[in-house]
Formats: sequence, C-alpha cells, structure tokens
Amino acid sequence: MKIVSCFSDLKELEPLAGAGADEFYTAVEGLPAFSVGFLPGRDLAPAIKQAHALGKKIALAVNAIHAAATDKRLAAIEKRIRSLDKLGMDAFIISNPYLLGLFSGRGKRLRAELHLSSVQPVFNSLSAAFFSRFGVSRLILPNQLSPVEALKTLAFCRERGIETEIFDYRFFGCAYINGRCQLHKPGHYNLKSAILGGNLCRINAKAGGLVKLRTLDLPGRAKELPALVKRLEDRFTCGGAPRLSNAAAFFDFFASGAHYLKYGTRHDAPEVKVKKVGELRAMLGLAERLSASLPPAEARRDFIRELSRWNGGGF
Amino acid sequence: MALEKGIRLGIMTLAALKKSGGLDAALKGFERFYLGPEFCENLIDGSVCEEAAWLQGKGKKICLLTPLLSEKGAGLLDKVFKKLLKFAKNGRLDPAGLEITVNDFGTVELAKRNGLPFTLNAGRLLRDNVFDDTGKAITVHSGLALKFFRELGIKRFELSTLGHRPDVNFAKGALFGFDRREFRLTLYYPYLNLTTTRTCLVGMRDVPTEESVRGVECSRECLISSFELAHPSIKEKLLVRGNTVFLEFPDKFYASEKSLARMNVDRLVYAPFP
Repeated sequence: MKIVSCFSDLKELEPLAGAGADEFYTAVEGLPAFSVGFLPGRDLAPAIKQAHALGKKIALAVNAIHAAATDKRLAAIEKRIRSLDKLGMDAFIISNPYLLGLFSGRGKRLRAELHLSSVQPVFNSLSAAFFSRFGVSRLILPNQLSPVEALKTLAFCRERGIETEIFDYRFFGCAYINGRCQLHKPGHYNLKSAILGGNLCRINAKAGGLVKLRTLDLPGRAKELPALVKRLEDRFTCGGAPRLSNAAAFFDFFASGAHYLKYGTRHDAPEVKVKKVGELRAMLGLAERLSASLPPAEARRDFIRELSRWNGGGF
Repeated sequence: MALEKGIRLGIMTLAALKKSGGLDAALKGFERFYLGPEFCENLIDGSVCEEAAWLQGKGKKICLLTPLLSEKGAGLLDKVFKKLLKFAKNGRLDPAGLEITVNDFGTVELAKRNGLPFTLNAGRLLRDNVFDDTGKAITVHSGLALKFFRELGIKRFELSTLGHRPDVNFAKGALFGFDRREFRLTLYYPYLNLTTTRTCLVGMRDVPTEESVRGVECSRECLISSFELAHPSIKEKLLVRGNTVFLEFPDKFYASEKSLARMNVDRLVYAPFP
C-alpha cells in the first residue's frame, strides 16, 4: 500500500515526500474541485516538475460534482486540462460523469490516468463495472463502505487492473454520503446564527430537547422511541451517523490488497500535513510489520490494539 | 404540456394505506404511484411487484423507486428485477406503464444486464450530477451532462421542491449546450432530501474500533416513526427518517401549472411523509 498526500503549496512537496508520501494530489482555482485549499494556478507546472524530480506521481482533482459550465467555459476547462496533460500531469481525479465522458471518449482520451473521486461514490461492483467503461484506472472508495462490503468490488478491480484507494479513517470521516450531501448548502435553509465550519452536521450544543417525535407510524413499537430519540440526539451533537471506517476496517482493506491510502485535508497548515503523513506512514509500517511477522488473525488483533492506543496525534 | 400527478408511497404498503383510510383517495387523486425504498437498500422487498400489478389493474401508472446499493442491495434488487421481468413476460405488468428510478449507477448496470424493458429515471440522489439546485435557481451544469444520461436512456430527472419558485437556466440552454426539450423534470413536494448516510442515523448501532462490520444492520427503526430536529443554527426544523434528513416546505411553492412548465416540470409527486 502506498500513501497519497494532498498539498496546496509548492513548499510542502519536499517535506511531505520526506514524511512518507508516495504520490501527491492538489486542486487549483479555476477548475471545478471539491472542498477548499487550492494551489495557485501558476504553481501547477512547477509542481509537476518538482514532484517528478522527487520521483513521485502527481494528480489534479477536478472533482466538483457541481461542474457547471457554459460551452465557452467548458472549452476553457478542457483546453487547460489538455495542456496540463501535455505538461505531464499523471492523473486527473474526476467525479462528474460528463467530465469523465469528455476525457475518456474515443479520440479524446487523455494521456494521463483518470481516477474516480469518492465524491462519485462506488458502493458496489456493478457501479465499478459501470465506471470501468470510461477507462478509470483507480477507484477512490468512499469511507462509508466496509471492507466486507467492498470485497467484490476489490476483486473486480484486481481482475481489471484497476487500482483502489481508501482514506485514512483518522483524518477523514464524513458521516454523510460524499457527493450526495447538501448540508453544506445554506441556500436551502435560513440561518439564525453562524454555523461551525459552514455546515449543519455538527451541532454545537449539548444533547437534550433537540429531537422530538414527528410521526408515530408503528404504535406497537412505541416503547423503542426513548432510545431512538437519545440515539439521534447523541449523533447530531457528536457529528452524525456511525462511522464504518476504523482501525479494523483499515487493516482489512490493507489485507485485502487496497493499493493506496489517502490523506486529503488540503486546507490543513503545512506542518500539520507533514505530521499527518508521518502518522499515515507509521500506521502503514505497523500493519506491514505485524503482517510480515504474525499469522493474519494475530496481526489484525495486535494492529487494532496498537491503534486503539493512538492518542489523536495532537491534532 | 399536461401535468401528471403522482403520490410517493415509498415504503408504505398498499395494505397500510388502506388501513389508514387513504387508499380510495389516493386512487382517485393520483395517476402514478411511486413504490419502493428511495433511500435504503434494507427495505427492498419483492412484494412491490404484486402491488405494482394490482395498481396497474386499477389503471394506474407505476414508478419503482430504488436506493443506493451495496453488494447486498444489488442482490436484493436483482431478484426484484427478475420478478418484474417475469411479470412483464406473463402479462401481469405492462412495461409501458412502469418506470424505474435509479439512485445508483450500479442500478443502471443491473437494469442493462437484466435487459429490462422499462424506462429509467435519474432519482434525487443523482440530481447533483446534472443540476445545481442548492441556491435560488435550478441550473443544468452542461448539455454534456444531459447527453451522458440520455445515452443511458434517461431523460427524466427527479428533484425536490426548494420551497419557492426557482429561476432556471433552461431558456439559456444554448449557452450551456442543451435544448430544454431534451429532458423532463419530476418535482417532489413538500420534502427536500438534504442529506443521506448509509449508516442509519436511527437504526444502526455504533461501530467499535475493533469491529469491521459486514454491512449496515438495523431493525427497521425507520418504519416506527419520523423525528423533528430543532437545529440551534437554522430557522427551519430538520426532519429525520431512517438514514435521510429532510426539510419540509408545506406552503404552496408555485403559482400555476404554467410556471411548472417553465421549469420543465411535467410531473408533480406528493410525498405524504418524509
């Protein structure tokens, strides 16, 4: 398994490589990308050179699902991507299928690889098969997929030579489905006060009195309601639905042969990025050491035990 | 452009609707029935085929809703598709009167592999691939987005009410490379689905660090009730059913059928519950 790290400043590349990054990715203003933290556009060409000089591959995220563009604007986006392709960009991370179609069709295929963003989440092997027709060389799997559920998709990808990538569960863990969530879109509701982080998924309040019954549809199960109300309150005040990604899930993906481990918080400060990539490298090293020296069940057990002692890294 | 009126029963069975006293009114008031789970694969159930056949016998048109799928849901849906095919082959279902709404590209693949003779629609969980409805307007990203879906046989897209009459960029389609006649919209009201999680907010237990789960397990808590959440930062109440969070816009949100036609909406679907 290799490590993919985000970056948003040229100066970050060398320290990130030193911390253990095997590949890089970034996003630039002017091209549709998910989330925040952009490299200045003028730095892209030098970034390609610098990454290659370090012996690393570099990818560009063009993965906004809302990729609105007039024909004129689309022509400009296409021109820019094709010029970056010529400059040596190794891969483009895409989520909106129309952009995938634009860069994978006959006669229009980019030289660079196409990675399917987790913003276009693949939860089953049928979906993997669907997108494989567009020449996708890597699937970035959504964090709301368990390794057991992913087995058939991983097998499909192995058969077709498609790489797979997962996120480090410690540094990325949105509970809602990427690319299908509008909690970050205040156009739909009216604000009473500023929202932490600009979205609704984390309520900065104590549990209690926030959730009420709206409709009771199965009166025969009404006795379950107090526990359900408590569960909802706890979840809304602590960041949402249960996470499938954890130490056990990481180890199982690792053991199943997933190829890449991603750290992708582009807006983190440079020193935080370096430290987090170091944490990824340490975790991966632990999984590799334990797997090489112990039977699988023991390696898994010891790995989980070690990671459950992880202190949060001070982030 | 005639406006078709539908009702989204979703996971409510016809027996439950009858028991509530609403079946006759629904049969009288709506031309199309939306059946099946839109947001959760754990609720996929083959009995929807019999319900569809019964409703077609009453002269109603059907749209089968399908959710986001994991491997488990894909297996369940495959069985439903095969049963629908059997019903169509032996004349129990008229393929012309049945559509399937997909919310996962895997479902498009599954429909293709099964050679389904039914029209496919793009559901509300796929809407962001083509439309931006997060502001005061509904805009098509690009004509290429519509073309991508058209090549899959999909020309109808499902959206939720925004609680107001939005602006659209459809008249300026030429700038974005599309013609507004290339697609049709279905508009659900009065609930807007704001977000969905796979790991059910209501039904799924927390996952301990040492556990790697087989899938999303629940006891169908979503069937018991829906909830209202008073978020301290926004004026509206959030509604929660199962794995999805909604906003409700109970007031009338359009002036006339003519204004809906301007939005390319030729089908209006009433959802009695979130």
